[in-house]
Amino acid sequence: MHVPDGYVSPQTCVVALAATVPFWVVATRKVSDVVKTKDVPLLAMFAALSFLVMMFNIPLPGGTSAHAVGAVVVAIVLGPWAAVVALSVALLLQALVFGDGGVLAFGVNTLILAVVMPFVGLAAYRLVAGRSALTSRRRTVAAGVGGYVGINAAGLATAVFLGVQPMLFHTADGTPLYSPYTLAQTLPAMAVPHLTLAGAAEAVLTAGVLAYLVRAAPGRLAATHPDPVVAVGPSAGSGPPVRPRRVRPATVAGGFVVALVGLCPLGLLAPGETFGEAAPEDLDLAGLGLRAVPEGMERFAGFWSHTLIADYGFGEGQNPVLGYWVSALLGVAVVGVVVYLLGRVVEAVVARRGPGQPEPPRGRTTDGPAEVVDGTIDLAAGDVQVAVTDAV
Amino acid sequence: MPSDCTRSSTTEGFVPPVRGSRPVTGDTDPSLVEAARVPAWLVAPETHAPAYAPNGQRRRRGFLDATAEQSARVLRQVVVADATAARPGLLQRLDPRTAVVAMLAVLVGLSLVHHALVLLVAWVVVVGLALASRVPPGDLGRAWVAVPAFAALVAVPVTLSVVRAGDVVVTLWTWHGVPQGLTAQGLVAAALLVTRVGCSVSVVLLVTATTSWTRLFAALGALGVPRVFVMVVSLAHRYLVLLTGVMADMVTSRRVRTVAGVRHDRAGRAVLGASVGALVGKAHQMADEVYQAMVARGYRGRTLTLRLFRFGPADLVAAVAVTAGLAGLLLWDGALG
Repeated sequence: MHVPDGYVSPQTCVVALAATVPFWVVATRKVSDVVKTKDVPLLAMFAALSFLVMMFNIPLPGGTSAHAVGAVVVAIVLGPWAAVVALSVALLLQALVFGDGGVLAFGVNTLILAVVMPFVGLAAYRLVAGRSALTSRRRTVAAGVGGYVGINAAGLATAVFLGVQPMLFHTADGTPLYSPYTLAQTLPAMAVPHLTLAGAAEAVLTAGVLAYLVRAAPGRLAATHPDPVVAVGPSAGSGPPVRPRRVRPATVAGGFVVALVGLCPLGLLAPGETFGEAAPEDLDLAGLGLRAVPEGMERFAGFWSHTLIADYGFGEGQNPVLGYWVSALLGVAVVGVVVYLLGRVVEAVVARRGPGQPEPPRGRTTDGPAEVVDGTIDLAAGDVQVAVTDAV
Repeated sequence: MPSDCTRSSTTEGFVPPVRGSRPVTGDTDPSLVEAARVPAWLVAPETHAPAYAPNGQRRRRGFLDATAEQSARVLRQVVVADATAARPGLLQRLDPRTAVVAMLAVLVGLSLVHHALVLLVAWVVVVGLALASRVPPGDLGRAWVAVPAFAALVAVPVTLSVVRAGDVVVTLWTWHGVPQGLTAQGLVAAALLVTRVGCSVSVVLLVTATTSWTRLFAALGALGVPRVFVMVVSLAHRYLVLLTGVMADMVTSRRVRTVAGVRHDRAGRAVLGASVGALVGKAHQMADEVYQAMVARGYRGRTLTLRLFRFGPADLVAAVAVTAGLAGLLLWDGALG
């Protein structure tokens, strides 16, 4: 997962570093606002912790074991911005101490493992966990899903970084100067191990650590889980009512459109024809080992010809550039509207089912009498205040 | 060196000598031990588990063994790197700022080279500098071999015409009459990748092996990296050693309480979750204690560092040599077309 020096071009490294710097700036400000003067030792400890999490071997079924990155569990426990700083420092130490990950490629590695992975994984975790109680099984499953999605997002980002190299940087005769594999090769090469072994290892680690902390030290999660922790104790509801966060369909649709537009450069970089979209007359029959267009394809190729903007242009082919732009904007608008309508449907279904009730807390597996603990953590003061509010 | 580190980086004393276990003083570099006055047992590769269980059956290596070995490797590498940096050698006499700037310049220069032959020559020069700086083979050398070896493994498929089309120079088989095999472009691409990766990782490890961590991190501060960030990195390095010791203790204590091997089932995953979770708790607690200690020593949020740098004649020579060497390599690379 760590990209060493030599696999990516210096230009790529500069771009990745430039993309990471804003995250560092925001992360440093946000973390400093929270922990104030304690930031130095606390961040250093978190960084060392992130490094150590990467060293743990994860037991997998079948007797095998694998390493995990641990970025998502760090983000769940510490918050995403603290995770950015901690993981960046851990990656720097890894690059310098063990030659694991490049120094020139430091920006690439931090963008993948300290930005993409924790943010994507945390988003998946929050999406699945919803407003469930901290002690619910759903939250443990959500942590596993978060770890799985996070490591796969990081794998995808790595595949993209490596896969664009031969397209952008090659000699006149086509010899790749850096990573020699194209996107068509790096994507499956990264997908197979990450969807199976690496994904499983990350899910096991993330879910296991969260389950332990919920059971043994819920106060450690208070800073990043204010609502669910409050829901655990009997004092829930005694404080000011917490306004539930509402994800608006318009926001989701807007985010979807922005993500699609942001990924457009990938399509522009990809060489050749789009796979599976060639018209029968455009097929390279000899290359495919065919003598004629298959009968079924011939029959159904012209099945639907009542398109609004055929071939991304106007009827007579006039103003092709304008036609292409109109097609693109129309397509984006249609996708946005469809996602928005789907969001409204989901919203209506959820509203009909009524507001969700928090799941009852499970008993703690302690040897003594079960305790209901209301834990709050005050990072600014540096004291973990745990108050036993009731004993059964 | 913290006591936690020295205590946990050996199992001598509580791993009984049983048949099949490796001697504690195995692959130790004697010159390193002598020169740096590091005890032999501290830098010896560690045997964490007896090869046989009490019932006489061969013990299967589980995830706890792997984690314990990994933690021991980290501690050993830190010790060896510090010992190497303390040796009298060619690059050890350089100002750390010179070393860091030269490292970055060389890495950028190497990434701009387009010919494997040029990179190979640069690699030979780097290995020569390592020998002149008395960097020992062994733990540090292992990374010099492992990373390019992995790159070579990665690069093997690209040499085949079925993976990447090109001019076939070595025919291995034919496909419908078309010769298939190793391509000129694929071989050049693989050679470029391996030499570039090998040379780059060698440069980084050479600089980090000949510059102590305190000087290296101080150089980062002197070169404009924010002081707070440098302090976080320095402390993180320090805590890494401490927490690795804690982790090694946890894993070792679990192992010695386990008669049979820890299974890779739900119980094994619970052990893993508890270990990392406990580590989170210890890290929080340790951060509190360290902060209190810092405040007691006068820390009020400002970070100050001692300036121990001296740009001497050796640095001037190194700067000129690196500049001339890089210019020569890039000119040669350009002349090759």
